[in-house]
Amino acid sequence: MNHNKTSKKMGGRKVESIKQNPLVKKVGFNRIVLCIVLLLMYGLFCALTGGAFFGLRRILSALNYAYFLGFLSLAVTFVIATGGIDFSIGPVMFCCALIAGFCFTIYGVPMPAALVISLVVGLVFGIFNGYLVAYWDVPSFITSIASMNIAKGVASVFTKTQSVSWPQSSQEGGWFRNLVTSGEVPVGLIILLVVAVICAIILNQTKMGRYILSLGSNKEAVRLSGVNVKKWEMSAYVLCGLLVGISAIFFVGAYTTVQPGYGDTYNNEAIAGCVMGGTSMAGGLASISGTIIGVFIISLLQEGIMALGLDKNLQLIITGLIVIVAVFADVVARRRKN
Amino acid sequence: MGEVILTMKGIDKSFPGVHALDHVDLEIRKGEVHALMGENGAGKSTLMKVLTGIYKKDSGTITYEGKEVEFHNTREAQDAGVVIVHQELNMLGHLTVAQNIFIGREFKKGIRIDDKKMNEEAKKLFDRMHIDIDPTETMSNLTVGKQQMCEIAKAISHKAKVIIFDEPSAALTEAEIEELFKIIRDLRAQDLGIVYISHRMDEIKVITDRVTVMRDGTYVGTLITKDSTKDDIINMMVGRVIYEDPKTKNMTPPGAPVVLKVDHLNAGKMVQDVSFELHKGEVLGFSGLMGAGRTETMRALFGADPIDSGDIYVNGQKVTIKSPQDAVKHGIGYLSEDRKRFGIVVQKTVAENTTMADLDEFANGPFINKKKENEVAQKFVESLATKTPGVDQLVVNLSGGNQQKVVIAKWLTRNCDILIFDEPTRGIDVGAKNEIYKLMNQLAAEGKAIIMVSSEMTEILRMSDRIVVMCEGKKTGELDISEATQENIMNMATREIE
Amino acid sequence: MANKVSKTAGTNKSFIDRMGGQQFIVLILVIVMFIFFSAMSPGFRKYTTVVSILDYSYYIALMAIGVTFPLLTAGVDLSIGTGLVCYSLIGGLLVRQHGLPVAVGMLVTVLIGLIFGIINGCLVALMDLPPFLATLCTCMITRGFGAMVVGGYGIPWPAAAQEGGWFRSIFKINVGGQNIPIGFLWIILLVIVMSFVLNHTKMGRYTRAIGSNKEATRLSGVNVKFYHIMAYVICGLFAGLAAIAYSAIFATVQPGSGAGFELDAIGGAIVGGVSMSGAVGSIWGTLVGVFVICLLKTGLPFIGLTANWQQIITGLVLIAAVLFDILKRKKEAGK
Repeated sequence: MNHNKTSKKMGGRKVESIKQNPLVKKVGFNRIVLCIVLLLMYGLFCALTGGAFFGLRRILSALNYAYFLGFLSLAVTFVIATGGIDFSIGPVMFCCALIAGFCFTIYGVPMPAALVISLVVGLVFGIFNGYLVAYWDVPSFITSIASMNIAKGVASVFTKTQSVSWPQSSQEGGWFRNLVTSGEVPVGLIILLVVAVICAIILNQTKMGRYILSLGSNKEAVRLSGVNVKKWEMSAYVLCGLLVGISAIFFVGAYTTVQPGYGDTYNNEAIAGCVMGGTSMAGGLASISGTIIGVFIISLLQEGIMALGLDKNLQLIITGLIVIVAVFADVVARRRKN
Repeated sequence: MGEVILTMKGIDKSFPGVHALDHVDLEIRKGEVHALMGENGAGKSTLMKVLTGIYKKDSGTITYEGKEVEFHNTREAQDAGVVIVHQELNMLGHLTVAQNIFIGREFKKGIRIDDKKMNEEAKKLFDRMHIDIDPTETMSNLTVGKQQMCEIAKAISHKAKVIIFDEPSAALTEAEIEELFKIIRDLRAQDLGIVYISHRMDEIKVITDRVTVMRDGTYVGTLITKDSTKDDIINMMVGRVIYEDPKTKNMTPPGAPVVLKVDHLNAGKMVQDVSFELHKGEVLGFSGLMGAGRTETMRALFGADPIDSGDIYVNGQKVTIKSPQDAVKHGIGYLSEDRKRFGIVVQKTVAENTTMADLDEFANGPFINKKKENEVAQKFVESLATKTPGVDQLVVNLSGGNQQKVVIAKWLTRNCDILIFDEPTRGIDVGAKNEIYKLMNQLAAEGKAIIMVSSEMTEILRMSDRIVVMCEGKKTGELDISEATQENIMNMATREIE
Repeated sequence: MANKVSKTAGTNKSFIDRMGGQQFIVLILVIVMFIFFSAMSPGFRKYTTVVSILDYSYYIALMAIGVTFPLLTAGVDLSIGTGLVCYSLIGGLLVRQHGLPVAVGMLVTVLIGLIFGIINGCLVALMDLPPFLATLCTCMITRGFGAMVVGGYGIPWPAAAQEGGWFRSIFKINVGGQNIPIGFLWIILLVIVMSFVLNHTKMGRYTRAIGSNKEATRLSGVNVKFYHIMAYVICGLFAGLAAIAYSAIFATVQPGSGAGFELDAIGGAIVGGVSMSGAVGSIWGTLVGVFVICLLKTGLPFIGLTANWQQIITGLVLIAAVLFDILKRKKEAGK
């Protein structure tokens, strides 16, 4: 990194400004490193499996994982940008998939309506979390613990603790799988990237994004500027809920069956993708492109662990460590700034 | 005065963007009260934080009791006998008075903390200081003044040889200050070295033996108090900076309309039945001791804290203000004393902060027009002479004075007609201070109505057209600048409420 | 003025405040709930129900006592639930497959809890990670670790009749066909001990002080980092003890379970009056709060609601308790 520090005398005091290599400034040092890590990991897995990892099949399989995780990670990016957290997203995703799937298979609701139900359930949880956090000052990790368990409980009660299988592509309603892969075309990737671009526009070009990032950095100052911070803080959670609803569709599109009582392992992976990509746990700083690259790394990691025949629980441990390292790096960076 | 107990020589300390201390010297003798003076931002508190190990110095030497020392934390400084009574209170609200005083060095019986002995020892301390505080009372139930006394008791209990008082009188009533001075004279008689930081010239004359003056992070000189005049000290503090001429008469145009009327405002115990009027083109000063309820009044009026009762009229119309949103809608802007917490979003750019209060004006539907945003921000950077490399600079990289200008730009962008400046020059260096004053006068001349809350008496007398004085949450007086003096303001500010 | 303030605080306490404030209300709530369930269902009015409530109370109470300490520092520990399962699995594995004596297995279980407590403490106090995030990671790590060590199979600790089954009688002894829940005595004893630690030792004093104002505590010369870590170590230690209680009460411990246990414990502590913003709370309060949770767990099935409902209701109870705390603080701030 080309890091020239220049000092200017200003009003008798020195003000430091940082000059950067234009490419690094545009793409971001962190994201360049992440891309390199991604490529190195791919190379490493290929080498470790004696080349068996190489090829489209593994990549498509990793992408299947990246779709739903990508939406989850984008979802939590907005919440973390406000300085909050949501680790109910995994179980809520399962809750969406279970309720919508149950409506389709048992109550015979048509597929488009089922997909809408999934989004609505996600939204309801987003509104619940957002309302409590924004309007009642409940700490976001408390609403997360509560929502996580409520989502599991609601899903279990609704499905009477039965697992739900979404239709295969040949079955009635199976067309929804075309959203994930249509023939050989990874439609999911296209949708994920389009949604990511929309998220990036929301975050960087709109009032909503401006307020979300600003209040994540200093909520009180934004409030005293006459901004309705409660509304905007809640909006982040609502958007999060909607994206979780979408992620549920892509989960079942790739993995068909959902079981009540599970889903919390995906929380950490989504958060890992997000914080690795340069979104700060302290709020106010978020990167959509970073989140997406982070998600690819996590997806590749899980694919690699499977390919190498390692215990899948290893994934839990590694993502846990990744989050710790990524957040610690952020803490150190902020400490140095102050 | 006895022998030298503590010498600081050539102390240098920089923070990112700020050279806070530039080769500062200080010498303390046994049995003296040594005043450390300087305007806001002169570096007094920083120097004391370097001494007590809160900050690490970049260079320079500290000699204590004949040996060169460097304390790495407050604990080491305390153990050596150098104790500080902080300006901002460092109390643990949930613990009792005695638990606070002995935190970190509890008396023990086996593994058990001996609370009974701690209470007794605290009682003894208070008896020696001739003050009446119950050691078993929960700290948060005490008034600010009593809490300050507890801090002092804590410092004394450390068997200190040097005690630093960092603006101890800012929160105290006249009677409490008398108590404080009695305590300080006692300590001096016991041969302790005392550093006394204060803004108040008359206190300095009463209680101190020598004065060291600092200005803009540098050492200016040391005087013997009784051989020097008030003007000598002020000249050293102010230096070559020429301030706006103090007002001698009310500059508000006669017959200027009332733009803001506050009627019997109540909000919690810090704002009781406050009423006042503000005219177009006027600077209304709010004076009082720390904790008098001035900031609370402003926050309630701005909708930042809930109002219990009372009416607010803007331009003659009764308005409901339940949140800052409502206040801003009615053209009120608030500049907080604590810019970093309440004024700016430090991790955002100058342009983003400038448009924070009026983003709707810069948006096409949900999208922000960044070009327009940058243009307007640039306009204000130029008209307020904000020193920044560009409008895309993060505000965190600006100095205090320039950050303040960004906040002003924010409210001017919104076109607010009523501006509340809460301690507008706190933490701003001397040069920038006058620019802010000039700006305020200019804004008033343009027809903005300004409320200025300030704890600096000189600032109040220099800037205000009229002055409202508060004490313990109540308005205790209102003066025209032509009749205001330091003495009658002080009287009102410490008036005992029956 | 000051005298007036101190007087009101000293003597004008309401009856409820003098009885211990929130704890008193919650104690009444426990009694009301008990009466409610008894009235609703004859099946509930049985000695076995009481034993069953107590069975649940052991491991939840132990976790809750532990987590009270991080909560008092204005932190939290989310890893206690999956941690409990992980420690129990490892301890059980050593006893079952490696033939270690049960006593050693128990010791190892507690020790691993202690080690994860130290890890959590270091992540929070030394590395400055947000507590919920650091412990969310250790939550996942303990879960993965436990499952990996046992290879995905459940571990049954020795049954009462088997060799080494004596450890189950720590909590329950069988006298003439009746189960006597003596574990409750241990819980009371630990509550007394930890109440002493919280109120009369440096450890407890500094735990509260950190929750009240960490920076002021540091400036008073307290080794804040050490005591901050210790709060999590106590929590880890009690999660280890809870693991033993869990192993002793339930036949088998399943890898991958344990998520959601922390809700019961944290919910209990907060219902019992521990404030989310730190410094306020007591061990006795936590114990009373735990019984609200345990009554829900055992009572709801009697009125026809499944265990899943219990999960939903506990979540809502947690939110309600936090809202109550927030409103109380707002009222105090406005005073």
